[in-house]
Amino acid sequence: MEMADALVQMGKYIGAGIAMGIGAIGPGIGQGNIGSRAMEAMARQPEMVGTLTTRMLLAMAVAESTGLYSLVIAFMILLVA
Amino acid sequence: MKLNLTRNEKLFLSVFAIVYAALIIYVIVTGYEYALEGVGIRWIYQLPFGEGPLSRINPMTVFMTWGIMALIIIVALNFRKFELMPGKRQTLMETLLGYMLELTEDAVPRKRFIKPTFTIACTLFIFILISNIITAFPGLNTTVTEDGVKLTLFQDTWYSPTSDLNTNATYAVMVLFISHVFAIKAKGLSTWIRSFFQPHWLMLPMNIISEIAKPISHSLRLFGNIMGGGLLVLIISYLIKYFVMPPFLWGFFGLFIGAIQALVFSMLAIAYIGSLLE
Repeated sequence: MEMADALVQMGKYIGAGIAMGIGAIGPGIGQGNIGSRAMEAMARQPEMVGTLTTRMLLAMAVAESTGLYSLVIAFMILLVA
Repeated sequence: MKLNLTRNEKLFLSVFAIVYAALIIYVIVTGYEYALEGVGIRWIYQLPFGEGPLSRINPMTVFMTWGIMALIIIVALNFRKFELMPGKRQTLMETLLGYMLELTEDAVPRKRFIKPTFTIACTLFIFILISNIITAFPGLNTTVTEDGVKLTLFQDTWYSPTSDLNTNATYAVMVLFISHVFAIKAKGLSTWIRSFFQPHWLMLPMNIISEIAKPISHSLRLFGNIMGGGLLVLIISYLIKYFVMPPFLWGFFGLFIGAIQALVFSMLAIAYIGSLLE
């Protein structure tokens, strides 16, 4: 393998790792906030647990999407071209 | 909760469970291939006429889309007869559609547009739900190697049309078009054009960018979940070969994440249509 190809390969791996690692910070914070607030609400009103759980899962699925964009980007860097 | 199942349903469920368990054993015994070769590469067919991206199709996506549409039509034809005292299947469908109708009534402010929005959202929901759920079961899929395309049976899950960005982008762009057509119908052309100059004419590029960003985020969310789930199963199975069997991961990503993402997609479609009607 030539030096240039090796450098390109190295750049791909480093780029994919950084993209996924930094991209996972935001959804982590967001999902943590959603979970903690949902727990508080459930503790205050235990009779609402069913509704709150489904709403919490939906909100988490939406908050997750920015992390998934970085996952897609990382896969694109690694696999496509 | 107590289930009262008739004899036929018990028979069907036990046959289903036995077939699923047999498939899992078959997959494990015949050696599930943990190779990461050809991951993420699609079978692309070049049509004999035309050139550019519009002349290339993904045959598996087309095939599976038609298959799922045929399945939905067959199921829908069985639901023709509605009874006053609902049976089990009718109760299930009524609960599901009633929930969607409630969501639509909350989000869409104009009475005229509740029913069309509900129809669009439910159609999207049922199609995406079925195409996500089939990724929980082993079935027909393709692997692309350097020699050519290889059809594999029971080595991987069913190929899902929603794991192809083209399908998701089509639906997202369709939702965008429908929301603007509804807005023009509801508010009139001049009010619709003026809504782009709110709150000041300097904000025009921002408003246009925010409209274009809607279908992108809408489609990439579903695509990332389904495609990323499938790839994650392959990679996790590759990393911890002998501890986690892929069928359980398929169940998690297909049934749980798939159902949530189908609901999120249709809810966002309702929200996008409703937000332009205010």
